[in-house]
Amino acid sequence: MSVNASNQNGEVAEDIIICRGLNKWFGNFQALKDVNTTIKQGERVVIVGPSGSGKSTFIRTINRLEEHQSGDIIVDGIELTEDVHNIDAIRSEVGMVFQQFNLFPHLSVMDNITLAPIKVRKWPRRQAEETARELLERVGIVEQAEKYPNELSGGQQQRVAIARALAMQPRIMLFDEPTSALDPEMINEVLDVMRELAYSGMTMLIVTHEIGFAREVADRIIMFDEGRIVEENTANEFFDNPKSERTKLFLSQIL
Amino acid sequence: MTANAPPAPDHMPPPRTEVGVIGWMSKNLFSSKFNVVLTLVSGAGIALALVYGLVWVFRDAEWGVIAQLGGRFIIGQYNTDLACPGNNCFWRPQASLMLVVALLGMVWGMTRDDVARNVALVVGIAAAAFAFLPYGFDKMGIDVRLLLLANLPALAIGYAAARYTPLGTGMRVSIAGVVIFVLTLLLLRGFSWMPGLQPVSVIYWGGLMINLILAVAGITLSLPIGIALALGRRSRLPVVKILCVGFIEIFRGVPLITLLFMSQVLIPLVFPENFPLNSLARAGIIITLFSAAYMAENIRGGLQALHPGQAEAARALGLAGWQTILFISLPQAIRNVIPAIVGQFIGLFKDTSLVYIIAMLDIVETGRTFILGNPEFLANAREMFVFLAVVFWIFTYGMSYISGRIEDKMGVGRR
Repeated sequence: MSVNASNQNGEVAEDIIICRGLNKWFGNFQALKDVNTTIKQGERVVIVGPSGSGKSTFIRTINRLEEHQSGDIIVDGIELTEDVHNIDAIRSEVGMVFQQFNLFPHLSVMDNITLAPIKVRKWPRRQAEETARELLERVGIVEQAEKYPNELSGGQQQRVAIARALAMQPRIMLFDEPTSALDPEMINEVLDVMRELAYSGMTMLIVTHEIGFAREVADRIIMFDEGRIVEENTANEFFDNPKSERTKLFLSQIL
Repeated sequence: MTANAPPAPDHMPPPRTEVGVIGWMSKNLFSSKFNVVLTLVSGAGIALALVYGLVWVFRDAEWGVIAQLGGRFIIGQYNTDLACPGNNCFWRPQASLMLVVALLGMVWGMTRDDVARNVALVVGIAAAAFAFLPYGFDKMGIDVRLLLLANLPALAIGYAAARYTPLGTGMRVSIAGVVIFVLTLLLLRGFSWMPGLQPVSVIYWGGLMINLILAVAGITLSLPIGIALALGRRSRLPVVKILCVGFIEIFRGVPLITLLFMSQVLIPLVFPENFPLNSLARAGIIITLFSAAYMAENIRGGLQALHPGQAEAARALGLAGWQTILFISLPQAIRNVIPAIVGQFIGLFKDTSLVYIIAMLDIVETGRTFILGNPEFLANAREMFVFLAVVFWIFTYGMSYISGRIEDKMGVGRR
C-alpha cells in the first residue's frame, strides 16, 4: 500500500469508507438521516450516542447487514449496491464483532476461526489453523482452541470472536458494543485486545459506551442522535470542549 | 466472631434426609399422607400386573404359534413354492442380511465409536444366534444355519475393510451403504436372465424384511427431502415457497393409509402402462414423501429457533448464503430437533405395517393372517400380538438408544 496506515503522523491517508447522504428506514421509522462521513485508512473512530440513535444501524450498513435505501457507501473503493459479488467482496474485507459474540456453538473455537478462511478464502486447512493459532495467541487464549464456545467465559468468547474476524485479514474492523454484554470484570481483557489492535494500525469503527477507552484510542468521536450525526470531533475536543448542546447533555448523563 | 469459635469447614455434607435410598423414598414416595396412599395403591397395582404378566408369559402362554411361523416372520412368502419354485431362494435374504451386517461393521471400523460398535455387535451376534434356534428345524437346514453364522465373519470383514483400507472414509462408507441397499434389493428381486437368481415378485416379499426395507428407504430419503422442503418453505421465491407449502400441507393433511391406497390406484394413472414401479416401490415413495412433509416442519422449527445473530455473523465473515445454511444454520437446526426427528423415524418404522392396506404381508399382517387362516391357533392371537409388539419395541428402542447417545456426543442442550 502506498499510503501510510497511521494518520496520527499527520500524513495523508486514503479514504477507506465514504458515506454520502445515507438514509435508512425500518418501515416508517427513519433510522438514519442524511449521514455523511469519511473514514481514513488506519483511523480509529468511536461512535457514541443514546440508545436508538442509529449508531449500531450505521455500522451495520457498512457491511450491508442492514440495507440502506438511499445515499452512497463506498468501502475500500467498492460501492455497496444490490450486486451480491460486491457485498461478498466487502464483507470479506470488513470484520465485525457483535455485542452477543455470535460464536457458532456447534463448532470448536478452532473451527469457529478457520471456517471462513477455509470456505471463503479457500486456504488449506493447515494454513488456516496456523493463522488461527497465531491469532489465539495474540488474544491470549491459545490453550482454549479445542473447547466449545459455551465452555468459555464471556470475555474469552468475545476475544475468540475478535480472532475469528481477524482471521479473514480484514482491512476494517467494526465493533458493535463489544463489551456491553460482558460482566464488569471481563471488560478490560477485551478492551486490552482492542487497544493492541488499535495500535497495530487497523482501521476501526467502534460503537461503545466505554468513555475512558474512547478517549484513549479514538482519533475521532462521532455522536449520533435520532439518526443524525450531531457532532464529529477529535476525542479531546469532544470530551473537553463539546460544541453541541445535545453532546453536552449526553456527556453529563454518562460521565 | 469470637476467637475460639471453630473455623467453618470448606465443604459441608448435605443434610441426612437428602441422601441415600431412604432419603430419596421419604422425599419422593412418602412425603405426605396422600402420597403414602398413592404409593401403596400404585405399588400394589404394579406388583399385581407384574405377577400376572410373568405367570402368563412363563406358564399359560402357548408360544408354539410363533415357532409355527418361524422364518415367515422375517421373509414372508419369499421362499414358498409360489414365489420361488424349488424353494432355493432362502439364501438371498440371508446374503442381504450379511451385506447389511458387513455395512454395520464398516461403520464401526470407520468411526471406531462405541455406539456404532454396540449396534454392529448386537445386530451381528443376534443374526448369528438365529443359527441356534431350536424352532423350525425341519425348515432350517444346516446350510441355512451356516449362512447365519457367516454373519460374524461378515462383520469382521466389514470392520477390517473400513479400518485398515482406504475404504474407511465417511464418503466412501456412505456410498457403500447406498450400493449395499440397492444390491440388496436387486438380489432379492432377481433377474430373469440370470440362472440361479430367478425373479421373485415383490407381491411375495413379506415379513420384517419389508418393514425394514421401507423404513430404511423412508428414513434415509425423508431427511434430505424434508430439509429441502423446509428451506423451500422459507425461500423468498414465491413459486418455490408455494410449491413447498402446498406439498407439505397436502401430505400432512391426508392420512397415510389413504395415501397408500391412492398410490395403488392413482400412480398407475400418472405413469405409463408397464412402468416398472411395483407396489413395494410405490409404498416406499408414499411413506417417504409423507414422512418428509412432517420432517420439513421439524427442521423448520429448528431453523426458526436459531438466533438471527448466527446467520448475521456468518454473512459478516463473507460466507455466501448457501454456505451459511450448510455450515451454520442446518447443523444447529438439526441438532436442536434430533428428538423430534427420531420420533418421526420411530413413527415411520411403525407406520410401515400399514402397507397391509395394499395387500402387502408385513410382519404384523403375516402374523394376523396366519391366525385367521388357521383356526386352531385362534386362541393364540394374544401370544402372536405380544410377540409382534416386542419385535417392534426392540427396533424402536434401538433407534431411541442410538439417538440418545448421539445427542450426548453432540452435547445437545449443553452447547
